[in-house]
Amino acid sequence: MNESISNLWSIPLFIIIPILAAILLNVLYSRKRAISVTAVVSSLALIVVSVLSPFGFHWFTGQPAVLPTGGYTYRADLLGWNLALEYYYGPLQQIAIFLASVLLLFVVLIAINSLKKNTGTYISLLFLTFMSAAIVIMVNDFYHLWIGVEIGSLIVAGVVLATGEAVSQKAALKYTFFSALSGAGLAIALALILGVTGYANISDAIIAMPLNDASLASVLYVAFGFTVLSWIYAGGLAPIHPLKADVYGSAFPHATILLQTQSKLMLVAIGLVILRLFGTLPFAKEVMLSVSVLTMMIGVVMAMLQTDFRWTLAYLIVSHSGLVTLGISLGTVQGIIGGLFQAVNDVVYMSVLLLACEGIYYFGRGTSIKTVSGIAKRAPWLAVAAIIGAFAASGVPPFNGFQSEIILIQASLNYGMPELAIVVLMVSVTTFIALFKGIYNIFLRPDDAPQAGEKQGMPVPRMLYVCLAALIFITILFGVYPQLAINFLNEAALKVVYIPWVP
Amino acid sequence: MGSIDSLYDKVKRFVIEFTSGKGTSSAMTGYMTGELQTVAFIMILASFFRIFSVPLGIVLLAAVVGALFFFGPMIKAMERENSSGLNRVLFWVMIYFAVIIAVTLWG
Amino acid sequence: MIELNLQFLSFMAAAVLVVIGLGGMLFLDNLIKKIIAFTLLSDGVNLALVTLGYVEGGIVSILEPGTSGAAFPTNAVLIFGPGIVLTNIVIGVSTTAVLVAVTMVLYQRYGTLKASKVLKGERK
Repeated sequence: MNESISNLWSIPLFIIIPILAAILLNVLYSRKRAISVTAVVSSLALIVVSVLSPFGFHWFTGQPAVLPTGGYTYRADLLGWNLALEYYYGPLQQIAIFLASVLLLFVVLIAINSLKKNTGTYISLLFLTFMSAAIVIMVNDFYHLWIGVEIGSLIVAGVVLATGEAVSQKAALKYTFFSALSGAGLAIALALILGVTGYANISDAIIAMPLNDASLASVLYVAFGFTVLSWIYAGGLAPIHPLKADVYGSAFPHATILLQTQSKLMLVAIGLVILRLFGTLPFAKEVMLSVSVLTMMIGVVMAMLQTDFRWTLAYLIVSHSGLVTLGISLGTVQGIIGGLFQAVNDVVYMSVLLLACEGIYYFGRGTSIKTVSGIAKRAPWLAVAAIIGAFAASGVPPFNGFQSEIILIQASLNYGMPELAIVVLMVSVTTFIALFKGIYNIFLRPDDAPQAGEKQGMPVPRMLYVCLAALIFITILFGVYPQLAINFLNEAALKVVYIPWVP
Repeated sequence: MGSIDSLYDKVKRFVIEFTSGKGTSSAMTGYMTGELQTVAFIMILASFFRIFSVPLGIVLLAAVVGALFFFGPMIKAMERENSSGLNRVLFWVMIYFAVIIAVTLWG
Repeated sequence: MIELNLQFLSFMAAAVLVVIGLGGMLFLDNLIKKIIAFTLLSDGVNLALVTLGYVEGGIVSILEPGTSGAAFPTNAVLIFGPGIVLTNIVIGVSTTAVLVAVTMVLYQRYGTLKASKVLKGERK
């Protein structure tokens, strides 16, 4: 209630800056210096706006009615419905967008340093990826949610296509086919909810939700099913995970950083929407939990079978999405905090690993664990970074993965489901095995073909080490002082559980 | 019709199908760990059914046991089912959607 | 007994379109035919969305000076359906464009449109 009632100045900037940057970069096409200045300035601007912005709303239409007491209500029953297309910027949104824009800066820096041609078009796609993530995490109406998910999935196809390999073209084609399917599903879910409640605004729809009306129960279940389908698609949960893993594995490793950030934010946003709308339906949480558990297990087992470090990471990202959704699906305050914190941490430590993977890509001419070996001798710092990333991903204490996984384990024990705690433990142990299989073979195994000069890859951009150092700093910072992040996430979790009408 | 022989043959086929590459290679380690993990997971999955309704649990458990016997070495079947073929994923998505609707409507 | 009114028939038509679309996406091998099946699916969804907002003997959902404020909410057709359909058409077109573009690139690479040949997995 303390937020200002007028529109917030900063929210449109999160959408406008990336779009303007994308248009400008597209026009600049391959003018290297102009591109780097524009891209870096725009992403720095995004970081600054995310830090400076106060918390509040932005309405496109249908502002809430102000009460005599000074508060405000969304229930202006003037015409029977209330078209409040709304964005909300709160603590959760602040930390998510801040992290995403920092990662955007790093990715842009690396892309400028490593790509040779068509840099402008590619970087504009990266900006649009950030924009779709920002839309989905801030949105509080079905309409923009749907648009954000759709734009996001088409942009993903574009980013993947940029590598120009046959694998990535196939991955993009398959992913786009499913974007069509899940987009149609989300549209139907949206229309059903609108038909039942009459509200486009999610908070309004929750109030108007006829959860006790038996005649509408089947409509709600179908809407729930379609929303879960689009959630599964946007986040790459089982059974869409092979396609999402294809996407992660065949994009450039640095682009995968942004792709996984986008899909984690979509998981969090759509997951919270499903929980707020349908959380009280019988068996809704159980369905969500089953999806999460299946994703975790299948992802981590498939990660173990891969013989290419890129694909190991791709499946691990999918598997750790399951950890995020596990926390959200529990629906308790502790669980939601754990899930959100896991999303934040996951984005950071997977970025460390993906950047290390990018380094291997340059040094070893490929990332297959069968052909690449003995990198540690040539790049000791890369090895250290990869090992720190692996420790963080498998939940070893001084790093951030530990803090969120322990919250998740406690939450599932408190929820009365010790099986879930066992699954989380299994996942973190198996993550360790899968990662160290790759790290041992690539970094530590002695070079079997020591023809010097012939196997020497490109020089690694120095920028990559700077970004790695910054990300490792964040990893350790959140590992030692988890309260820095948890304080931001607390409010979102409390609001989801206790105040059903506020985002 | 030596029944011992045929059982031996079956076991041998089972083991050979499961093994791919050298027993000490890192790929093989992945397969072994994955197989163990999958079996452990199915055991945990079985205990999940105390939160669903019991009759539904019995049906699903019967389906899982049937699948276990049908697919032989689990890890091979999992790798096959997790390939990213467009039609295969589409098929699984439809099955999945049916299951989601069925579970919620049943509950 | 279900009444055979316009809305019900329209829903049935939408369902038939969606089923044909899904079947085509699943069972046809030609990539272009798959894309056509997808457009059928998306048309079916659009039809369903328009039908959802249908009101028997309804009025246009624009509040004109003569309209009484009380009768308007119950008689006006639901505006969200057509609104979503407009966006869905745009999204459908852009998705089709991406699909066709990628299909073209893959055709140049492989010289065939058969999904079973083009999309054969070769990851490792």
